[in-house]
Amino acid sequence: METRDLGSTGHESTVATFGAIALNWLEQEGANQMVELVLDRGVNHVDVAPTYGDAERKLGPKLRQHREEIYLGCKTQERDYDGARRKLERSLDRLGVDHIDLYQVHGLEYEAELEEITGDDGALAAFRDAKEEGLIGDIGLTSHGNPQLILDAMDRIDDLATVMFPLNPVVAAKGDDDHDYEAVLERAEEEGIGTLGIKAFAKGSWPSTEELPEADRPYANWYEPVDTPDEIRERFDFAASQGLSTVVTPGDPKLVAMVLDAATRYDGMAESEQRSLVEEARHDDSPVPEQLHH
Amino acid sequence: MDVPRTVTTALEDRPIEGAVCLEAGAGVGNATAGLLASGAARVYAVTDDRTHAETALERVRSPTDDDDTDDPRRARGRLAVLEADLRAIPLPDDAVEVITAHGLFNVVPPADLDAIARELTRVAAPGCHLLVDDYEPPPDDAAVRDLFALENAAAQLADGEPMLTFYPADALGRLFTGYGWTVDRHRTLLDPVPWTESHLEAHAEVVRSRVDALPAESELRAALLGRADTLVEAIGSESAGEMYGLALRRPE
Repeated sequence: METRDLGSTGHESTVATFGAIALNWLEQEGANQMVELVLDRGVNHVDVAPTYGDAERKLGPKLRQHREEIYLGCKTQERDYDGARRKLERSLDRLGVDHIDLYQVHGLEYEAELEEITGDDGALAAFRDAKEEGLIGDIGLTSHGNPQLILDAMDRIDDLATVMFPLNPVVAAKGDDDHDYEAVLERAEEEGIGTLGIKAFAKGSWPSTEELPEADRPYANWYEPVDTPDEIRERFDFAASQGLSTVVTPGDPKLVAMVLDAATRYDGMAESEQRSLVEEARHDDSPVPEQLHH
Repeated sequence: MDVPRTVTTALEDRPIEGAVCLEAGAGVGNATAGLLASGAARVYAVTDDRTHAETALERVRSPTDDDDTDDPRRARGRLAVLEADLRAIPLPDDAVEVITAHGLFNVVPPADLDAIARELTRVAAPGCHLLVDDYEPPPDDAAVRDLFALENAAAQLADGEPMLTFYPADALGRLFTGYGWTVDRHRTLLDPVPWTESHLEAHAEVVRSRVDALPAESELRAALLGRADTLVEAIGSESAGEMYGLALRRPE
């Protein structure tokens, strides 16, 4: 599988990153098999979070067995120093490792959060102390929200190594500032910041729970995904062609194998074909930012 | 203003900043929006359709619109929508520096091609850029061909001329070369072309509007309407064919 520089971190990530939230929906044995499948396809970057149910614990056994092969990303939604430190220690404990390669501010949505994180008692201070102690490697940030806020964060956090944000044809087709992740990509490229793309496979928001109860959704995703091999491949190729360092796999385990297949076969996408996908999605409703909470 | 990528891609290598431009066949104003966003000094959006004229105007009008604003996307004062026939454009000779015909020629019948090419050449200043963005004929196995054929049949019955003609890029290139233009570049804008449900429904709507001219009890009318519904449902959506972008230049 193709690898790309993850910004200036010195790590070369595979063009697909495994979103380990998928493990939450599997029993331990199935989780082990999924991690083996992911590694067998050559993936070297795995992303997890304490908010993904049991995913950290279920990742643990195979992670420890293959620790040297995996660049491990984790994150916290805590915004203050003590909370972030506590959650980091808990993640290390649940994962059963002594080092996380990329520790990220999870789900930045509001300007006030950025104020808090960057303050004296903010989460970033805890990140930096942990980095000095060797508990974490690089510092990153994830957001499903306003691209301008991500740009602000890039301005204010000097040691930001990566950003994670949504990118798909539906989002790319929106010409307004609320969806201008292209600007984030450009800035990241200029500043040597690695980029992780999420929601690459989003088709749209789920119908309301009145129309379709959560229990009846066919996929354990925050959004309604595309789900045929051809669509998955198109969406992967599109996301990977935009210049992202890596594309994160979707949350439902049923879709992961198809995405890995697409990633293994990825060899670029013609610009005219990229425009075709954007044009096709131009009048679709964006799944961003309606479903922010990931 | 939401500008399709086909438009931004077509405009990106042309000198739009500060230019006097003409959008030939304004439709809903996609190219007009692109030209204004790219910093055109003035855009004449020409259309013979009152609804399109109103839509084009509406698109560049924002709730906070102010003609004095510096925001190039909100400069309504730089736009003139002209409700006119492209065979008789109400502009003087040598008046414009950039002309766009974005998705225009597929709705121009062959009989009108020469008159439009002559008129566009008349209003073009020496050195003018012409952008012709249109569709290659859809491939033989494309299901949308049947819907387009039906649309043409209905238009032929109602108006005496086809609704759609897909001219290959080479054909339009040769047409304008005959009027003294030279082809600068030829690029693919969409491959494949997404014919979405809403596109297909719009084409079916053309069939419905044209058969209104037929007698209410006509069997042909019922057959055409039924066929339109069947095709829209059967095709659903399809990605097929190519949209090209041709850039031409009038000698200095």
